[in-house]
Amino acid sequence: MGLAQNVVFGLVTGSYIAIAAIGFTLIYGIVNMINFAYGEYLTIGAFTGVLAAGALPLPLAALAAMVGGGVASLLLAWAFFTPINDTGPVPMLLTSIGLGLVLRNAIRIAAGQGARYYDTTTSTFHLRGLPDLSVGSVDLLGNFFVTSRMLVVVGCAVAVFLVLHALLTRTDIGIAMRAMGDDESLARVRGIDTQFVRNAVWVLAGVLAGLAGVLIGIQTNVNVTTGFSHILQILAAAILGGAGSPYGAIAGSYVIGLVVALSTAFLPSSMTGLSSAMAFLVLVVVLLVKPSGIAGTEVREA
Amino acid sequence: MANEGHVNRRTFLKVAGGSGLAATAGCIGLGGDSGGTIVLGQPAAQTGQWDFLQPGVSQATDVAIQQINDAGGPLGNELELQRRDTGVDPNEARSVTTQLIENDDAVAILGLFSSEINPLWDFLQEQETPVVTPWPGSNFLDTNGGDHDTPDDLSDDEWVWRTVISDTVHTAGAALRALDQDHDTVGVINGTTEGARSWADGFIEAFEANDGTIAERIEVEQEQSSYQSALDRLFGNDFSAFAVSMPLESATTLLSDWADGEYGRKPILSDPLAQPDLASQVGSALDGAWAASPGQSGPGYDTFESAYQDGGDAEINAWTPPAWDVVNVTALAIERAGEASAEAIEQNLGPVTRGDGTEVSTFEEGQQALEDGDEINYQGAATPVDFTGFGNVVGSVVINEVQGDSFEQVETIPAEDIQEFVPEGEY
Repeated sequence: MGLAQNVVFGLVTGSYIAIAAIGFTLIYGIVNMINFAYGEYLTIGAFTGVLAAGALPLPLAALAAMVGGGVASLLLAWAFFTPINDTGPVPMLLTSIGLGLVLRNAIRIAAGQGARYYDTTTSTFHLRGLPDLSVGSVDLLGNFFVTSRMLVVVGCAVAVFLVLHALLTRTDIGIAMRAMGDDESLARVRGIDTQFVRNAVWVLAGVLAGLAGVLIGIQTNVNVTTGFSHILQILAAAILGGAGSPYGAIAGSYVIGLVVALSTAFLPSSMTGLSSAMAFLVLVVVLLVKPSGIAGTEVREA
Repeated sequence: MANEGHVNRRTFLKVAGGSGLAATAGCIGLGGDSGGTIVLGQPAAQTGQWDFLQPGVSQATDVAIQQINDAGGPLGNELELQRRDTGVDPNEARSVTTQLIENDDAVAILGLFSSEINPLWDFLQEQETPVVTPWPGSNFLDTNGGDHDTPDDLSDDEWVWRTVISDTVHTAGAALRALDQDHDTVGVINGTTEGARSWADGFIEAFEANDGTIAERIEVEQEQSSYQSALDRLFGNDFSAFAVSMPLESATTLLSDWADGEYGRKPILSDPLAQPDLASQVGSALDGAWAASPGQSGPGYDTFESAYQDGGDAEINAWTPPAWDVVNVTALAIERAGEASAEAIEQNLGPVTRGDGTEVSTFEEGQQALEDGDEINYQGAATPVDFTGFGNVVGSVVINEVQGDSFEQVETIPAEDIQEFVPEGEY
């Protein structure tokens, strides 16, 4: 059993989660709400992408999904969240749960039964002949392979991290986001248009959800539960990393991805169906040891 | 002048009360009277992981009901179907079953999957309403359900009947074929749903009983974005074929991962996976993979097929002919009972399918025979529908193999060849 191969699988899974978790945690950090409807944003992106892929090349379809996700996120925020900005995190959390239910069923009615698939081809690259480096039954290296699909996912994730880092550190809007994340009142006193920044966060989160939805759709399929079935992993990654911190969300996502992959590979065979549960066990243990999560932003509100 | 053009309160109450009474009488079972409506309830998989199978089952149900109503209906009443979505979720199934029985006044339930029946077993017994279903393969039902061959005595009845053969039967067919093809050692990967586990359990039991060896069995959660870790682990073992039992969408992801990883070896698929979508999505790597499915070799299959083709364009799957049988056998039970109550249907499901009565394959034929004073033996579309004491049926198994973008039937294993896996008294 090769450790390196399973690390590759974990990194790929972590990349899907990371792209979505960044958007999720930005909403938490700046709008100050846990958005349980965020899974449906992924689904909207996945459906937009699969529809666009019928007429456009896949990269342009992915771009259309990102634009669609951003627009949908902003419109939903204006309709449901902006009017209750000042009511606090709990009413917004409850609203998001209700919105998620409504969106899921609306998509179910509009999109109908069954899954849709992106038409893609995959190439596989094998790396063989690596030296044997065994510890017990585990080969630390071992032969492994990557597919073009895996490389695209990891490549997209890395691109997102770089663009996000540049945005947060090199642009006025990014610096304003970080300022609002630290102290909204102080940011407002310093002349930052906080509503504009909130809108920018909604758009950015929607764009990332759209991209994550397309990538998950390419790997699996597009159906009404595409996003919903991943929301717990996204939430866990964001909290594990330190809710509100995009860098923490990236770290948390890869921890979740690696734990899921490695627990499937190395748990007793009767427990392989519990790999997701193992990821949550790690979340609980980390929060017991370091309640503020990996990046240090403690969760004190819903 | 104030009351002109208005209905006074007394008149309103009379009309409303009378209308309510009439409406109620029209909705409930009407005993032996004719000209009313008999409601049958159908919990359905209109959403969820098995929704791709529902269109065929819905179409078969609808055309069967239409044909029965065209023949005058049971006891001269019109059959009405109430279909409600459960998403194959046990909690939702419980609510839907309650609604169908309590609100819709359904006298029989024509559905429910293994994943719903097993956790709701005690609840279903409390309802004392027959559940006649085309769906469940679970081997739990091998020795649970039916009337225990005492149709008149309701005290030992377990109220669940199925017109599809058990996983025990067709997984035995899959195991026998795997061994025939010299796959002495296989791997198994299955999902965590009741149906997926039941298939894997049945396959492993039959395979090992015939001296086959299971190299490793791995359980995985549904709806994962990747199954590569599980595949990497499974293929670390030495075997020549591997069995897959999961819902279609998850299996498509898993087998696409398998094709991408170029793991090789022969896939043996659980029966719900014999779908063209799977073959077209996974591609040429899946060529030669096969699934053992319940056969569609009942004596009444041709009758079913000609009616079905006129009812729409949904594809026929392994659960479609059993759905036709469910409606016909229930309607015949009402006709024989002379009343449309849950108890009467329960007491007559066995008698219209067993014994030496006149063989009939449609409701109309059965109705005529019963009017002539004969006993009847319904001959179904999927199987002969000779209900055992546990409410089970026995039938053949067909092997469907992936050839290009579709599954083609390549072999039929007769019921007699796998009879040893369903010993009398234990099925």
